[in-house]
Amino acid sequence: MPGYQKITSKMLQVPVAPGAEVYSRRGAMLAYTGSVAFAPSTTAGQSIGGAIGRAVAGERSAMMHVTGQGEVMFGHAGLHVSVVDLSGGDTLFVEADRLLVHDASLQVGTMFMGEQGGVRGIVRGAVTGQGLFTTTLTGKGSCGLLSHGGVMELPIGPQHPVHVDPQAYVAHRGQVQNRLTTAVGLRELIGRGSGEGFQLELSGSGVVYVQASERKI
Amino acid sequence: MLAVDLAGETIRALNGAMVAYEGRMAFKREGMTGGEGLRGALKRKIAGEGMTLMEVTGEGTVYLASEAAEVTLVQLTGDTLFVESESLLALEGGLRTGVQFIGLRGMGAGQGLATTKVEGHGTVAIVSDGPAIALEVTPETPLSVDPHAYVGHHGQLRQDVVTDVNWRTVIGQGSGESVQFRYQGHGLVYVQPAERGGILEI
Repeated sequence: MPGYQKITSKMLQVPVAPGAEVYSRRGAMLAYTGSVAFAPSTTAGQSIGGAIGRAVAGERSAMMHVTGQGEVMFGHAGLHVSVVDLSGGDTLFVEADRLLVHDASLQVGTMFMGEQGGVRGIVRGAVTGQGLFTTTLTGKGSCGLLSHGGVMELPIGPQHPVHVDPQAYVAHRGQVQNRLTTAVGLRELIGRGSGEGFQLELSGSGVVYVQASERKI
Repeated sequence: MLAVDLAGETIRALNGAMVAYEGRMAFKREGMTGGEGLRGALKRKIAGEGMTLMEVTGEGTVYLASEAAEVTLVQLTGDTLFVESESLLALEGGLRTGVQFIGLRGMGAGQGLATTKVEGHGTVAIVSDGPAIALEVTPETPLSVDPHAYVGHHGQLRQDVVTDVNWRTVIGQGSGESVQFRYQGHGLVYVQPAERGGILEI
């Protein structure tokens, strides 16, 4: 199967065939060739229980199930698209509204931020604007992520932690611990901060995806 | 996006422009005067040419970006770069900044009364909406640019405003190109492929 192909930095061409279906953000289709059908999907490949959990968590964006035979072009709001291939061994953590398209073969899940660091995780989710839940993708397949200004991959090593601005964080994968570090001092309190008061520290081994902007989607 | 390798040096960058870093870094907002002295700070206040920079010090790599804008690097060897304060992303620690009054002609371009000048030896990173191109100006080939697409310039240049306002502009039937900056002399002008909104729609 000739995987996902970038036509421009903001447009993605995805082959669809019986047995190789995809889920995409609803309304993100730009054009297609062949005979392809789009059906709104509330479960996005999850079980009913998972879907209800996501709805309750607010970690949900409307997805659609793309089936048939052909090539479909996807894009959204002029945002940059990046393709991430998962080989089956690791899990991608990403916000639901940054997900443009993913293979139906990937398992979608929801992770409670409290699972990573308890109360601290909840605080982190609130501060970074990620909310209390984040989406996980596992399995073998590809997905397309949305970002403002394109993404850069930064490798994370055990002796090589990376600090990221929470607003510029897009996704990460691998065995990564994240921790919110603060550098809030007297200067921040009197309104003369450097604008870098909160940082996400990622350590372990994996990859973090960072966008060239501090804008949320 | 811009990656800067630091080994103990200091650079100055737009406040809040860090998106990621590796290694050990410290971020500190510059004082009220921003290294321009009390007079410089007062001039900046009067001119409304606001600029908030932070000092970045440390060892490692820092990644800087702002609103998905394109980054252009300009090497200065003792000459002066004129740039809008909002187009400045980062500069090497050894460079000096100051305010240059440009007079009333800045009003039409939405630039305000003053612009920022950077002088010394080192590298400056400027941001633009879309990739900026550098257009060369020689005495034989003067250059006219749309004030809304102008990003910055350096070299021995004289700046004039050319207006072509006639009755059509007055009744709202203008071509949208009634005011232009005209550069003469020797130097480079940076132009972006997008037009900023100005105070006056001319």
